[in-house]
Amino acid sequence: MFGSIYRKRVLSSLRSKEMLIWTWIFPILLATLFYFAFSKLDSAEQWSQIPVGIVADSEYQKNQIFSQVIGSLSEEGDSQLLLAEMVDTLEEGKSLLREEKAEAVIYLENGSPKLLAKENSWNASILKGVLDRYCQTEAAIYQLLEQNPGNMELLSEFLSTKVLTKEASLTENPPTDTLGYYFALLAMVCLYGGFQGLESIYSIQANLSPLGARRSLAPVKKFRMVFVDLLGGLTVHMMGMAVAIFYILCVLRVNFGDRLGLVLLTCFIGSLTGIAFGSLVGVSARLKEAAKTAVVVAATLTCCFLAGLMVSGINYIIAQKVPVISWINPAARISDAFRALYCYDSLIPYLIDMGVLVLITVILFAGTAFFLRRQRYESI
Amino acid sequence: MIQVNNLVKRYGELIALDHFSLEVQDGEIFGLLGPNGSGKTTAIHCMLSLLTYDKGDISLFGKPMSPRSFDLKKRIGVVPQEVAVFNELTVQENIDYFCSLYVSEKAERKKLVEEALQFVELTDYRKFLPRKLSGGLLRRLNIACGIAHRPELIFLDEPTVAVDPQSRNRILEGIRELNRQGATVIYTSHYMEEVEQLCTRIMIMDKGRELATGTKEELKAMIRSGEKLTLEVPELAEEQLEEIRKLPGILHVNFDGEHLVARGEGEGSALMAVLDLLRQNRIPVGRVFSEPPTLNDVFLEITGKELRD
Repeated sequence: MFGSIYRKRVLSSLRSKEMLIWTWIFPILLATLFYFAFSKLDSAEQWSQIPVGIVADSEYQKNQIFSQVIGSLSEEGDSQLLLAEMVDTLEEGKSLLREEKAEAVIYLENGSPKLLAKENSWNASILKGVLDRYCQTEAAIYQLLEQNPGNMELLSEFLSTKVLTKEASLTENPPTDTLGYYFALLAMVCLYGGFQGLESIYSIQANLSPLGARRSLAPVKKFRMVFVDLLGGLTVHMMGMAVAIFYILCVLRVNFGDRLGLVLLTCFIGSLTGIAFGSLVGVSARLKEAAKTAVVVAATLTCCFLAGLMVSGINYIIAQKVPVISWINPAARISDAFRALYCYDSLIPYLIDMGVLVLITVILFAGTAFFLRRQRYESI
Repeated sequence: MIQVNNLVKRYGELIALDHFSLEVQDGEIFGLLGPNGSGKTTAIHCMLSLLTYDKGDISLFGKPMSPRSFDLKKRIGVVPQEVAVFNELTVQENIDYFCSLYVSEKAERKKLVEEALQFVELTDYRKFLPRKLSGGLLRRLNIACGIAHRPELIFLDEPTVAVDPQSRNRILEGIRELNRQGATVIYTSHYMEEVEQLCTRIMIMDKGRELATGTKEELKAMIRSGEKLTLEVPELAEEQLEEIRKLPGILHVNFDGEHLVARGEGEGSALMAVLDLLRQNRIPVGRVFSEPPTLNDVFLEITGKELRD
């Protein structure tokens, strides 16, 4: 009997278009969107070459130091900053600007480098910074040589670039902003298990649907029927979850670290939380099915928003300012668990997240059982 | 088979069942007839322990019925008023699902599902999803899901609502067949013709109360109204109408300018007397219809309103 209930529940769920759209297709679409929107976010700090016009007039030819600096900034390689195009006059440089062949023109006026840019762009600011630095360094060297002529040691020490800080990562896998979105996305998919919980309860409670009334008349203990039904719902949800994980890890090639087993366990517990939440919404409020679905969607999206699905970093702000909200938000716990698995060598932060999540799930299921225990109704 | 005593069910201020009592014997097709909102479905839901009630006793198969009476529930089949099936399962899968709640043995279930499919003549539609079925076929699926496990007692709550006449006849014939196979049937409807055709005993209900119970003949015998005569008459003077009213065996008479409608009293017929009187007055008569009293007449005489109101 229970095998049949389970199989039919799985079959029915797999054929439900709404369920497939929300729990299978929507996460894949969102992950793809993230991929294209954020793929360059983590590499945003890398330099890109700036096309500039250099006025190589007689003054430029005479100033060998400046022309060498421009030459070295234009040298091909990893540290190439400028895509320099030499012109003879400032007018020619301006025409490069007009034709948008260059973002700026650099020229010398009375020995001082000048910058002519069409607009206040990011690249213009970089070039301005480079020229300012050149001027400061040049002035400092002249001053040094005037005050300490012949002291080459001091000059050499001044010219050497010393980095006094060292970048070090606390973990093997440093977190990135992009990864946070994927963590929150998976948390959302987990909590969309709420649809399965809602579906199970809706089709089993006599006061919610004709189907529920019919099933309530069967010679089967209600809790057993609910349990098997939810198990079927969980199975289908985990299938959707597996598809989403496969897509993110294998197709989009997002690195979640090397603890895949624990990632799946997190998804399983998170999905249970989602199902428990949907069950409680289904059983506790006498709303129409569409209204209950709206409650599940709204609650899930709110939780995910606070966990950083829409705005990166909001999860940190919430954790700092209102830690209670962060602790009781299942989406925050799920995405935090993924983050803990990815970033920390120790499993303790992960286990704390999982412990909280299990506690939330138990409370939600206990609430569901409290309402489910009713066998007869005032009205249906 | 079913014993209900003094059942009282309130929805707030509204009394849905007012000291409702019922006794159904083994092998009967028992009809609950009443207008919408008369308490038929509430009575069934109370009998099936779906609804709480304020007062009264219910026993099925000689045992008190409760939500945990699984041994009794196994012997009951229910066809609810609204179609209650899984939209994502095929016809066959739906029947198999509901049958599996009662019968765990797979081979037996397979046989029962096949029989149910044949019984409701849905074998050609076994792979269809419910949304692809017409209203009549959907109702037949609803019935198959309720009877596939071969219950001894079947509750059918308005199974022919919104069904075309052809499907309705098939459904009614199917119910007779189930009864012939040994099932006791409780049938609710607000279609008096159906109840009259099908049921061995009938209870007429209104406002949660039993108005009358008996066979259709017994019910009709309870009222003064006899046959209804309808005669096509081109014109009729008030004096002639008064003469007809005074004829023995005539309860009341109406004339709408075209039709003379006369209601007889008791079992006798006043047709000849009416025709003689019209002939004597040289009034031409067109077509003549004579109808025996219906359950609607019974309802009308007891409550003062039409069953269809």
